[in-house]
Amino acid sequence: MTVPLGAYVVVSAALFFIGCAGVLVRRNAVVILMCVELMLNAANLALVAFSRKYGSIDERGSVFVIFVFVIAAAEVAVGLGIILSAYRNRPVVNVDEIHQMRG
Amino acid sequence: MTFDFVEPVVFALLSIGVIAGGVAVVMLNRITAAALLMAFTFLCMAGMFVLLGAETIAAFQVLIYVGAITVLILYGVMFTKFSDGPRALFFQRQTPLAAVFVAAVAIPVAIIALSFTSAPPRPGGGDLIALATSVFTDFAFPFEIASVLLLAAMVGAIVLTKRDDPDEAALRRRR
Repeated sequence: MTVPLGAYVVVSAALFFIGCAGVLVRRNAVVILMCVELMLNAANLALVAFSRKYGSIDERGSVFVIFVFVIAAAEVAVGLGIILSAYRNRPVVNVDEIHQMRG
Repeated sequence: MTFDFVEPVVFALLSIGVIAGGVAVVMLNRITAAALLMAFTFLCMAGMFVLLGAETIAAFQVLIYVGAITVLILYGVMFTKFSDGPRALFFQRQTPLAAVFVAAVAIPVAIIALSFTSAPPRPGGGDLIALATSVFTDFAFPFEIASVLLLAAMVGAIVLTKRDDPDEAALRRRR
């Protein structure tokens, strides 16, 4: 008895929406970054699950996961850079109070 | 005696870990604990990758997410003063609407997800060779683009966080 593909997809969807709710609800910029990482990781789980359960030819789904890793690393580096430089201008990390660039 | 029951049990434990860790990241007020629980969630996710037979991806997951990204986020926590205002209010004010929305999204997702039938399991032996073959043949160009992206992100992070020399900044202000 193996775990069906649907179970992985359900866990992936649940984690994605948990991360989505975190991005919408939390006000701390660092926590928002963490929740975005959770969403990316949920997408990774769906990609690997479909790749392993359906992909009979090769590992294309898993290759996309590697690219998602690259994007996630770049995103965290640049995101933290933006948070820190905004924090240096004015010491807040609450995204409601960072509105220097609001039009 | 067979051990067929092991895989569903491990999967259940890992999914409980993933979901509970994710909920804790969203709910916890102590931001360092949230960051460490995020690492725990990523670790459980690596376990799921192992369960799926994608050992290489699991190793990358531990290296990049549990190692690098968690440490980077912990540095971000360290350099910023903790401040979290009240949660955004729209979920509290519109609970029935939110419940309807959640049901409208979650029920179709669950129905579609549970209607998949798996292909027959593939022979084991890891995924490294197939992965490497794909990356360095069909996906060689995206691979190079990804390296350029990483370089750009590195330069961008350095430029964003570089602190000006105070003397030079004072000179510029006087000018």
